[in-house]
Amino acid sequence: MERRKFLGMGLGALALAVVPASVQAEDWRKAKPAVWTAKTVDDAIKAMYGDVKLIESGVTISTPDVAASGGAVPINIKSDIKAKTVAVFQNADPESTVIVFDINKYSIIDFDIKAKLKSVGDPVTVTAVVEGQDGKYYIGNRTLDVALGGCEG
Amino acid sequence: MADFKIKAKLKKGVVSVKAMAKHEMTTYDIAKKQTGDRENANFIFHITATVNGETVWEVSTSQFLSKNPIFKYKFQGIGKKGDHIIMTATDRKGHALKGKGKIK
Repeated sequence: MERRKFLGMGLGALALAVVPASVQAEDWRKAKPAVWTAKTVDDAIKAMYGDVKLIESGVTISTPDVAASGGAVPINIKSDIKAKTVAVFQNADPESTVIVFDINKYSIIDFDIKAKLKSVGDPVTVTAVVEGQDGKYYIGNRTLDVALGGCEG
Repeated sequence: MADFKIKAKLKKGVVSVKAMAKHEMTTYDIAKKQTGDRENANFIFHITATVNGETVWEVSTSQFLSKNPIFKYKFQGIGKKGDHIIMTATDRKGHALKGKGKIK
């Protein structure tokens, strides 16, 4: 019963944090620490959103085909979905989560970031998950090569 | 007030922002290599951008952003020419970063 209550409260707080834009949104660092230590993309998505069905549509990720330097790889995420959050993951670095965007009523989902991606020899896959306001989850993938790793310093 | 460089432009009702945070963004791996202790890692945890007191952009971030990370984002429905965008961030060590830019 305790646990049930706790979960319910969590959901309530989440709804409150997302709906009015003027209210301070969630700090996912504090709210979901497990997201930031997850070692695989699947685990990170599970830690962030739970065991949800991911729909492969509506999310566009753009990167160069080959990133010259892994120290600063430009990544662009675009989507027209009415969203609550957008989370970006990758499978090259020791931990999977890169960034989580909180979407508010002013937001347009067209974000550019520069990420460090470790060169692992294999192509790197960048994954973005959009949590829609309709309660569904949308996923997009983009695979690229990194010529020189960026995490080793 | 100079931890962020912010450029913002208003065009057809959409404000496009390009911002750079001045931060080393040390990962656990780099910290371990350079100082021998992964706990010396320091990177930005959370960034908020506000216009006229309203949050327009908010992110929680990890160690995997580049050094002096650049962000581009857009928003609409708020902000006119001359308004200020205020960006604040906190890093792993608890330092606060702050910057201000004008919408042109």
